[in-house]
Amino acid sequence: MQKSSSLIMSNATGQRQRMGALLGQGFLLFITSLSTFAVFFIFYFILKDAIPFFKLEGFKEFFTSTAWFPSGEPAEFGALPIFIGTGLVTLGAVVVAVPLGIAAAICLSDLLPFNVRQIVKPVIEILAAIPSVAYGFFALVVFAPLLQNHGGAILSAGTWMILGPILALLVVVLGDLINEKLESKKTGWVVFPILGGLALFTIHSLASRLAGVEISSGTNALNVAVILGIMALPTVVSVSEDALQAAGRELREGSYALGATRAETIIKTVIPASVSGILAAVILGVMRAIGETMVVWMASGNAARIPDPWHNMLQPIRTLTATIAGDMGEADHVTGSSRYHVLFAMAFCLLAFSFVMNLASELIVKRSRKKLGKS
Amino acid sequence: MTLETRKLLDKAFSGLGLIAIGMMAAALLLILTPILWRGSKAFIFKGTIEHRRVMLEEFDRGNTDRFPAEMEKAKAAREPIYQILADFKAEMKTMERSTRGEYKSAYREVEQAITVLLGPAPGERTPVLMRQRYGQMRWDRTQIKLHEVLFSEEWDYSIPGAMGVLVETPRIEQFAGTKLEPLFHYMEEHIDEMMRPKTTFYWQFITDKSKDSHIFGGIWPEVLGTLYLTLGAMLFAIPMGVIAAIYLCEYAKEGRVVSFLRICISTLAGVPSIVFGLFGLAFFLNTIHVSDSKSVLAGSLTLSLLILPTLIRSAEEAILAVPRTYKEAALSLGAGRWHTILTVILPASLPGILTGIVISMGRAAGETAPIIFTAAVSVGAPLKIWETLNQPTPALPWNIYNLCTEHEAVDEIRHVQYGMVLTLVVIVLLLNMAAILMRARISKKLRG
Repeated sequence: MQKSSSLIMSNATGQRQRMGALLGQGFLLFITSLSTFAVFFIFYFILKDAIPFFKLEGFKEFFTSTAWFPSGEPAEFGALPIFIGTGLVTLGAVVVAVPLGIAAAICLSDLLPFNVRQIVKPVIEILAAIPSVAYGFFALVVFAPLLQNHGGAILSAGTWMILGPILALLVVVLGDLINEKLESKKTGWVVFPILGGLALFTIHSLASRLAGVEISSGTNALNVAVILGIMALPTVVSVSEDALQAAGRELREGSYALGATRAETIIKTVIPASVSGILAAVILGVMRAIGETMVVWMASGNAARIPDPWHNMLQPIRTLTATIAGDMGEADHVTGSSRYHVLFAMAFCLLAFSFVMNLASELIVKRSRKKLGKS
Repeated sequence: MTLETRKLLDKAFSGLGLIAIGMMAAALLLILTPILWRGSKAFIFKGTIEHRRVMLEEFDRGNTDRFPAEMEKAKAAREPIYQILADFKAEMKTMERSTRGEYKSAYREVEQAITVLLGPAPGERTPVLMRQRYGQMRWDRTQIKLHEVLFSEEWDYSIPGAMGVLVETPRIEQFAGTKLEPLFHYMEEHIDEMMRPKTTFYWQFITDKSKDSHIFGGIWPEVLGTLYLTLGAMLFAIPMGVIAAIYLCEYAKEGRVVSFLRICISTLAGVPSIVFGLFGLAFFLNTIHVSDSKSVLAGSLTLSLLILPTLIRSAEEAILAVPRTYKEAALSLGAGRWHTILTVILPASLPGILTGIVISMGRAAGETAPIIFTAAVSVGAPLKIWETLNQPTPALPWNIYNLCTEHEAVDEIRHVQYGMVLTLVVIVLLLNMAAILMRARISKKLRG
């Protein structure tokens, strides 16, 4: 009797179980949506403390003035140099991270054999895992003095390292094109040395001019941009590698079957197919660079003025994140003043920017997935 | 294009990719090498007798039988120096006023440099500040300070427009012909006997308290603070993350609600870490008052929000990787949904979830920006476990920043800074190694 009743559920127990399951599911949903609440709370609380600033000081000064004296009498809150500083280092980081990261991602997904890839992947993971404060320490204690004492040598070596491979590739392509135009195979031994010599001369003259540059302070935008670029590399590499992988085997094999070499396949077929994923990778890299605090706080020099000229990377700058981190210690005592609220206003700008970027990258990835899935 | 050029281009292209990989590896090496090499010197270095004295007097550690004899020897070797100083002082009194004035400030510099190098002269009162009670504890610092005794440094700004040039003149020339002259030779030749350097393995660097703002001792308060913050963050984040992953994988039906949830999670992942810090301050401390001032609790809560997205994603991946057949078999045996999750899916995905947990632990341990306003102070004692509820703590990431930018003797304690960075990096890298190994085993298992 007992057994049969446990096998065949009565209506009431069934209902109770269904209620229990529903309750349990509700509980799970609640816990899951905590992260949603967190997002809303973050927006709400940052905005709540940011609005008083705009009420007190208005928008115009914040976005257009270049005078940043939050503790002055009267206080001035012109954050334009800080926005420009943020943009400058982010741009620098993108210049470092994007070409290098995409090249590395192509290498990882298409060129390297499986067992080599198994070694390279941990390198990327370790780069991503090193705490930002360790990068900042490196930038401040090791890299900054190096830049200050051997700035010219480092700059010229960097020029060789960046321009060397690019110009070599260019020489090959151009030489080939010229040979094709001349329509004679015998000119090859003249054209290539001339072009090569020209390229070497260009790099050499540029490098020797840079070798004479003296850097007055090692804590500057260049230092930070390079380190931020290295920090953004893992993001760029792993996301764009995913995108390249998603392009699929059939596409590559089709291209090979038409007689394309590997390089041609990658450039003309794989990259166009995965361009949206790569774009998402770049966006995520930008976000990583813009949101980074410790490196810029420690090694950017924290000078709230626009470099002269504006693209001069060798001058100290100041960024949004570093301003928030640095000024909150002092502004904390004056809770409620514009000085306190301006930091929240900056945080809101960061937050809004990263929100938009994140949404954009999400949309791009989703759309590209749909496209690849259909084709 | 001819076929040859196309082949050449193909090779050149591969070369570019390899260069990129090589540059990445080079960057990693470039960053890790100084940290590993100079960081190891916080643990293994040539310690002078002053180091052993500090260990004995401040940390009750060392050989109490042999030390006094050794100290006597060192004192005997230092004796002539103080003799020479006293002689010179007497000589100065006999000098004419103008020459005396000339020597006086230079002499004071020498005297100060010697105090820094060897500690206070015998018979002098014990200074109040601990850092003035002892001489140089490390052989590398000893040599720098010896150089300061032997040479006077001056910045020459005479060239207009250019930066200042450092000019070093040997003090032995300054004091030529006086009774102080033999001092410099004596110091140069007998520095070994005065300081008695010995290779020291100071592993207690991790477990010692710091004294006199990190000039003495180790980094235990920071290590412990980092441990508390990390574990606290995991305590909040693991249940939330795993439950959210279970819901998203097993219960939720793809629809508006779920895609909204996913957008929120990815937004959370994209929020800059400093904004988390501000939010922690504005919400946990200023609005719901989890504690009166900064505290480990507030820091842990903030950090847990930061690592939540990573945790959810990795747990989701792990749950999705469990073969469908497992779940179907369990359901066909009559297990309920919840029962299946608890007894089949979770155990099968546990290694994957653990990997995610370990990686997020590394992230939580290394983050600085979220704890600046919520949990970190620069100086503090190691906390008891119940004190974490309402007291701030020193933590490795914050103190690395603090020591290398705001400390009053930045150059004197480089080894402490490097030691801290090394400790933090090793903690984070060990966690990540563990994750990499675990993942390798999982993929092996799934394949085989």
